[in-house]
Amino acid sequence: MDIETLPDPWIQRLRGPQPERDAAIAELRQIIVRGLQRSLSQRYGGAVQLDDVAQEAVLKILDSLDRFDGRSRFTTWAMTIATRIGISELRRRHYQNVSLDAVTPADSLQIETAGEGAATPEQLLDRKIVMSRLSELIETTLSDKQKLAIRGVLEGLPVEEVARRTDSNRNAIYKLIHDARLKLRSGLEAAGVASGDVAEIFT
Amino acid sequence: MPLSEQQVAKLLQLVGDSRTDGLDCDGCFEHLAEFAEVSLMCREIPEALQAIEIHLEQCPCCHSEFQALREALLSLDDA
Repeated sequence: MDIETLPDPWIQRLRGPQPERDAAIAELRQIIVRGLQRSLSQRYGGAVQLDDVAQEAVLKILDSLDRFDGRSRFTTWAMTIATRIGISELRRRHYQNVSLDAVTPADSLQIETAGEGAATPEQLLDRKIVMSRLSELIETTLSDKQKLAIRGVLEGLPVEEVARRTDSNRNAIYKLIHDARLKLRSGLEAAGVASGDVAEIFT
Repeated sequence: MPLSEQQVAKLLQLVGDSRTDGLDCDGCFEHLAEFAEVSLMCREIPEALQAIEIHLEQCPCCHSEFQALREALLSLDDA
């Protein structure tokens, strides 16, 4: 085995005999706590126990050692896992009282605004035209799941929290929203409304 | 309940900013550590990682995790 194919020293230590393994785990936990101290404290209220996050992260990291492919430093990879766990927990706590229960597919993306705030009568007319076309596209091209997912985001929920409330998963909700955004965009463009025009009409 | 004026504006922004994204959040996560290191070294993003950049532009969840990861890595470098 040449040096190129030797496992990362962290992997060796974390898979090593007991005293060495315990020391590596303790060191890794310290690194995670130190890294997350600043990065999580300013997000979503920052109300999370760093020791708990680090503990969960270490377990996940130990369980995923086979997936470390050496394309980054081990500690960067480990911090990526810890960050996702920490932010996920912060989001769950921060949005725990926000519900989508009152939103139904029928009215989830209903547009009834009259284009208030337009600077000129021409802009008001343009806004009404765009919103009318947008309403039509929403009704004719989006599924109920897509409408609900987008409404969740428009209510301020992160995709991960929309997924939690709709018994789905983050990937599926992201894809639903992504596809819906593209459908609406191409529909508007087909109707002669370019995204640059929209920005101008609504600013 | 119908959308408010602000929500309509936000929806139009979401639509206007949309780009075709070949990744989902897990696909982005797989390469995020490598992307973060390249980004912190201010190196040009290699072609193989450009899909990550697009996903981060499109997905606020992954973007905020990436920003937090950067801060965590920078704070370790500072220590």
